[in-house]
Amino acid sequence: MSAKKGHRHFHHEMIKAPGRRLMHAVPLKYVQKRISGGGGKNVNAGLNLTSFIDFLIVVVVFLLMSFSASGEVPVDKNTKLPNAENTVSMLDAPIVAISGTNILVDGAPAGSTRPIEDSGRLQKIDDLHNILKNKRELWKQIHPKSTFPGVVVMQVDHRVPALVVKSVFQTAAFAGYPNVSFMVGQIPKADKAGGGEH
Amino acid sequence: MGGVSVEGGNKSGRRTVDSEINLIPMIDLFIVCLSFLLITAVWSQMARINANAQVPGPPRTDEEVEKAEPEKMLTVEMKQDDRFVLIWKSGATVHATSEVPRKGVPTDLGGVNVVRYPDLGKEIAKQWKEYGSHQNDNDRKQDQAILSVDNRAPFSEIIAVIDAVYSPKRTFKGEEITAFNVTFSAR
Repeated sequence: MSAKKGHRHFHHEMIKAPGRRLMHAVPLKYVQKRISGGGGKNVNAGLNLTSFIDFLIVVVVFLLMSFSASGEVPVDKNTKLPNAENTVSMLDAPIVAISGTNILVDGAPAGSTRPIEDSGRLQKIDDLHNILKNKRELWKQIHPKSTFPGVVVMQVDHRVPALVVKSVFQTAAFAGYPNVSFMVGQIPKADKAGGGEH
Repeated sequence: MGGVSVEGGNKSGRRTVDSEINLIPMIDLFIVCLSFLLITAVWSQMARINANAQVPGPPRTDEEVEKAEPEKMLTVEMKQDDRFVLIWKSGATVHATSEVPRKGVPTDLGGVNVVRYPDLGKEIAKQWKEYGSHQNDNDRKQDQAILSVDNRAPFSEIIAVIDAVYSPKRTFKGEEITAFNVTFSAR
């Protein structure tokens, strides 16, 4: 008898008549449908994993293909480089930058362009010459058995006059860097116009 | 969960050959790869254009100096505002002289205006076929072009002309190289 009573009591605890429910006072039908959960569309959105993985694979492959291990070459914000089509890829070499009136070698000051512009003729830039010569000597000490490549990359603003460019070019050559490269922006090769294919 | 089914067709109660890839670590790996590649990506496309100073070194004592005829060289004069002058000469001998109108073609590159000289490139390519000394596939040497520039010319003009000089290409042992090597005139 007591067990029966207990059983009845258990049911009494578990099953209750529904009471007041949240939002049921709102007279809008679609709100009631949503909150009742019966017959309405499931509000849980599922992510299609197949297309998601496809997307991830495509992005990862694209980024891997365009990955450059050499890193970014630092360019001064005030320096706007010219663009060219027939270029070669960058290499690791000392960078001589002409930014405004300053000449920098790997970020360190190496003279000014003002004396050249004032004189109006080609000049050897002593500071630049000494710094490059020291770099050359250091390279030779580090690599005693290798041939010195003599490559220097010039990072020059597009407005800098030819006189300054030629002065820096000749100074670099006299300091033992005859292979000068100019850093430029890459123009995509559209067609072979002007190219004399052999 | 995604899986890879490898149907063996064996129903003898042995261990199933169906294998499944756990997708959650795989997606984690992809996202980590993606983040790393996005962070380390280099978006600016920098390149370089070559020039050679051609400073002659001291004569070597262990080598006998050959008395060879001076090679033909192309001099590109860009001192006039309206034309380029192309001169092919070897030593003091002038082989050909011609003029190309200085018509810059402005090209818009995503808001950046770049002036180029395609006519100059075409003319140089045409003349190189006629006068160029190094056209053979086995010839390592390139023809020399000397740029004679006005001292006031902006650097962008110099690059535009060097770009035009480098437009003719040839092959060296099957590999594409530029027909010319550019240097500046000392004056």
